Amino acid sequence: MAAVGRLTGDQVSRPANHPRRRTGLLLALPAIVIFALLFVAPLFTLVANSFRTQTGAFTIGNYARFLGDPFYREVLWNTLKVAALTTVGCLLIGYPFALYMRGRSPRVRNWLALLLLSPLLISMVIRAYGWLVVLGPNGPVAGVLAWFGITPPQLLYNDTAVLIGMVHVMLAYMVLPLMGSLDRIDPTLVPAAKGLGASGWTCFWRITLPLSAPGMLAGAMIVFSLTASSFVTPAILGGPKVKLMPYFVYTQATTTLDWPYAAAIGFVLVVVTTGLLLGYSRLLRRGRGEVVFG
Amino acid sequence: MKTRTTRQEGERSMSTSTTEMAADPSARRGRLRLDGVRKVLGGKEVVSAVDLETEPGEFLTLLGPSGCGKTTTLNMVAGHLSADGGVIEVDGTDVTGTPPHRRSMGMVFQSYALFPHMTIADNVAFGLRMRKVPAAARRRQVEEVLEMAGLEGMAGRHPRQLSGGQQQRAALARALVIQPDLLLLDEPFSNLDAQLRVRLREEVVALQRRIGTTTILVTHDQEEALAVSDRIAVMADGVIHQLDRPREIYLRPATDFVAQFIGEVNALDGTATGGDTCEVAGARVGATPVGDPPAPGACVRVYVRPEVVRVQTGGDGLTGTVRETRFLGSRIRCVVATGAGDVTAALPFDARVPAEGEEVTCAWRPSDASLATR
Repeated sequence: MAAVGRLTGDQVSRPANHPRRRTGLLLALPAIVIFALLFVAPLFTLVANSFRTQTGAFTIGNYARFLGDPFYREVLWNTLKVAALTTVGCLLIGYPFALYMRGRSPRVRNWLALLLLSPLLISMVIRAYGWLVVLGPNGPVAGVLAWFGITPPQLLYNDTAVLIGMVHVMLAYMVLPLMGSLDRIDPTLVPAAKGLGASGWTCFWRITLPLSAPGMLAGAMIVFSLTASSFVTPAILGGPKVKLMPYFVYTQATTTLDWPYAAAIGFVLVVVTTGLLLGYSRLLRRGRGEVVFG
Repeated sequence: MKTRTTRQEGERSMSTSTTEMAADPSARRGRLRLDGVRKVLGGKEVVSAVDLETEPGEFLTLLGPSGCGKTTTLNMVAGHLSADGGVIEVDGTDVTGTPPHRRSMGMVFQSYALFPHMTIADNVAFGLRMRKVPAAARRRQVEEVLEMAGLEGMAGRHPRQLSGGQQQRAALARALVIQPDLLLLDEPFSNLDAQLRVRLREEVVALQRRIGTTTILVTHDQEEALAVSDRIAVMADGVIHQLDRPREIYLRPATDFVAQFIGEVNALDGTATGGDTCEVAGARVGATPVGDPPAPGACVRVYVRPEVVRVQTGGDGLTGTVRETRFLGSRIRCVVATGAGDVTAALPFDARVPAEGEEVTCAWRPSDASLATR
């Protein structure tokens, strides 16, 4: 294994004009074109728009307006909070699930993966309305709580409702990369650590958890960015009281028809999310590099 | 205050253990005893009633083809698999139900199982950390064992930056630094190329002789087993077929399986005539019985290695006609057609080579062949 492991990476890199490298580029071309046309170009338009007044003159007023308004800063903060809590929730529920999945047979694993992906097979709107029924005042959750003599708390139209709905959808995005990471861990590492005197918990904290960090990182990035930009589920489950960024982009664009301001809100979200994710990944990588001797 | 106490304890345990290492062999620890150990995996009994006892400081090898239960047995000794029956004892203490992290076993895995996110020093220090050895003592022991393993200057590297042989040594250092009761080696040389494999196994044997830790090696390589072991347990289908010194295993195989698995063998059917003699194709030949001598008249089988067969003209032995001779470099292969079938002899290169068609007698010393009942 070790001998094979050494023959990877830089040793197989080829000169720029090597025919196989050109073939590789050709294979990636459709994806690159789609990204350039449908993502990068519109993003530039979005940025350009955000620096205009309604009449088309250059301005930084949209950003000044956003940053100067405590209400919008509160909305930004709340958006990041909900995204972060969803990420943490997915991690807390998803990690044990991924660990459980790892030990199962391929057949059971396929069924579990299907179970995990099942929320994604249903339309977002229908799924959210389903949660309205489940969490509503006459729903099963309230019923069970009432049966135990507990007055059901307000379960709908608040951050908790959005959190429940988002974790439900996002769980698969956390578990699948985690699975990939866990599967790459040499199965003899944990027995090796146990043989050296580590208990099950110590093995988890010192071996499994650090080695699955790439999967956690990937999962957390996907969940965080998808949640921060999600619209339908928060809108239905959160109602008018839960104010998140995408909702304001939507109202500015459709109700107020202030497209430049909508663009500015959207771009602030993109910048803040990207910045947080970059910082997070750097923090994690540095943490792993600093294995102190002794 | 508290830190100081632990530190002193750590230093003391370090120095006592050093004296222990140098002490006379009778005080050595590491006596492993397996009594009727069984394991069922997926409804199949992969290890059935294995009995085994090592001497302290012994190098014992579990040898057998894949699926014979040798690795399963090792994993039960290490505690990674629970035994479904029987008792595992180390120095008189029953460890059958003890979890692996409370047993004192240093194990080297086939994949080496080095922790990829830790440096070599941290890998080696892991077991000491788990034993709460204070930092200063830990650092010193890590340094010592890395030097012993020839890995000076590798402390700060990560496993992926090491060659296969270096990784193997690091894994060995990690297993030995905790001064285990037993050193368990699971096919540790199989991922190395042929030359390196021989060199490293010589190094491991020399090291083992020096520190005197009882060692159990699992391998499917019969040459490796013969070269390194004090004793070999040949396993097949979850059973130990023979447990003996390499010379006995090779020259006097107890069963068909042992005879066939290790090298080439002449298996000759005959009838027992009492004691260490039997009649094969009308000739009286000698061989050492496996266990009690078979009763006269019993159907027996004689196992003779080609290397011990002498081909001569006249004298006592099995007569036949030379069918084929072939020069193989270090040896001359000579096939003699006898009444009991072909007998292959591997003659030294300077021996007289009989002509094809010549009438000859095949003979051997009774102590160099085994006699088993069929």
